[in-house]
Amino acid sequence: MILGENVRESIRSLWGAKQRSLLALIGIVIGIGSVIAMVTVGQIVENEAIRQFKEMGTDICIVRLSGITSGQKQNKSLNLDDIMAVPEHCSTIRVVAPYVSTYSTLTFAGVRKSCPALGVTEEFRNMFKVPLVAGRFISDLDRHANFCVLGSSKAEWLAEQGVNEPVGEKIVFGERMYTVIGVARAVPSGTFSPYEINEGIMLPISTVLRSPERPALSVFGARMIGHGVSVHASEQLQNYFNYTSKQKTRITSAEELVAQMDRQMRMFTLLLGAIGSISLIVGGVGVMNVMLVSVSERRGEIGIRRAVGAEQNDIQLQFLVESVILSFVGGIIGLGVGIGATAIICHFSGWEFFVSKIAAILGVGVSAAVGVFFGYYPARQAARMSPIDALRSA
Amino acid sequence: MFKLKDIHKAYTLGPMEVEILKGVDMDVKKGELLAILGSSGCGKSTLMNIIGFLDQPTSGRYVFDGKPAEGLTDNELSGIRNRKIGFVFQQFHLLPKLTALENVCLPLLYRGVPAGERAERGREVLSKVDMIDREHHRPGELSGGQQQRVAIARALCGSPSLILADEPTGALDTATGNEIMDIFLSLNDNEGVTIVVITHDPGLAIRCKRSVRMQDGKVVGQ
Repeated sequence: MILGENVRESIRSLWGAKQRSLLALIGIVIGIGSVIAMVTVGQIVENEAIRQFKEMGTDICIVRLSGITSGQKQNKSLNLDDIMAVPEHCSTIRVVAPYVSTYSTLTFAGVRKSCPALGVTEEFRNMFKVPLVAGRFISDLDRHANFCVLGSSKAEWLAEQGVNEPVGEKIVFGERMYTVIGVARAVPSGTFSPYEINEGIMLPISTVLRSPERPALSVFGARMIGHGVSVHASEQLQNYFNYTSKQKTRITSAEELVAQMDRQMRMFTLLLGAIGSISLIVGGVGVMNVMLVSVSERRGEIGIRRAVGAEQNDIQLQFLVESVILSFVGGIIGLGVGIGATAIICHFSGWEFFVSKIAAILGVGVSAAVGVFFGYYPARQAARMSPIDALRSA
Repeated sequence: MFKLKDIHKAYTLGPMEVEILKGVDMDVKKGELLAILGSSGCGKSTLMNIIGFLDQPTSGRYVFDGKPAEGLTDNELSGIRNRKIGFVFQQFHLLPKLTALENVCLPLLYRGVPAGERAERGREVLSKVDMIDREHHRPGELSGGQQQRVAIARALCGSPSLILADEPTGALDTATGNEIMDIFLSLNDNEGVTIVVITHDPGLAIRCKRSVRMQDGKVVGQ
């Protein structure tokens, strides 16, 4: 009951000193706003980084193969059939998508451009989630065929040459002529997807392996049977390739990458939060300042209240309630400001905007805590004042 | 009601120690209307602060309601001020942001009395001082005499056993001062409230049943 009375009187007194309250409020608004904005942006960036993995599924991994230790001659080179047979021999692997990269010059209507290319299987599209704008993807039935799927940047390049519907067009890559059978949409670039998906063209893997450049097979994507089997999968793959071609394997699973990224991002968010907290502390000091002024201005009032029987605790509570209300209102406004700032940042950087519940709860909770923390000292001073001294200044 | 025995009070001002009260003895019975008369600086306000548990004597014995007033905690002192003492000050000392009624109810607020009951009791005492029609006015909207009536109502609100009035008419003109004094007289006559009025005005002191004269930190005449 006395608390309700305190809340009413605090609002009255804060309203009475509008200018001062407003200044303290601005400090808190900026402090809470920057914490909210920083933490939310951190989480959005984290979400952005992990999103592509979430789309591909975290049960995929990239397996890289390399010749066995120097000195020993590599007597048997890796062949495509060995890789395609992996799911049969390794129980932890469901499907595989080998790919091989090469590099040459793209020629269309006499205009030349250097261009990377990727030899892929039909499964590649599914594993790396390559969306198509037009036409179809490479099929396993396209063995040795001179078909290609354009990456988004090469499709743009062709559009510059005046070809708006490239499917069916003929282009020259290296020494051979290829028919365009499909156009891929841009995928989010990242550690996992080969960059050629966007930057180059995709051909049937058999065609690339037979080309004069004879690029070596050394990498494939694999989808495991579930989560948490990457260690087991790694062992099985090592044994298998040790047996077939004396190759060493290095496996990078999306699961591990995501976990690692999560850790890094959490540190990043923490760092941003810490930077925001500095302005919050500055805001808190502003509240303390305003409360100290308020206490010394209201010595007389404190004296009168003490004379009619207010205990130290009553006085302390009164001033504490005032500073908490001040900070809390600042926190609510700061929450709005922070969310607004985040929305603006997201708008201009093309990130997917969302409001982090944790940041919101944190912001409002922290603002109340700031009120208690920075209000405690002034309130204590008010409470400790000798009634007779306080009354004398009334 | 209360007894003072050889009360001393000294303040340290820088390197100097100034003795304000130099051995005050006093015995006030329940139902008395006592005036403490003295010129300014004689220590009568300091004495009132001690009687009102706002300040502690440097030495001496103070017995209030049969209980010694030594070694009380701050909360106990607050409790006594809240329940046993009602203050009336020269400058009224009302809180400017509160209405007359809220000011009057303040002692009950700190006693934890529910709002409805507080307002009821507040109106009761406001009508005793003829201020019931001004309950929603703020002190700034009231005249000096009206403010002092509200202050008296506040002092009465908690039904204290003792009302201490420090120069209650000092900021008022003679006519208004007399009206205020009438209120004290009638409270004492009709309700038996013990009242101690501190004043420098002998005319006021004469109207009280008993008066003591203070000079230079001592009681010089009963």
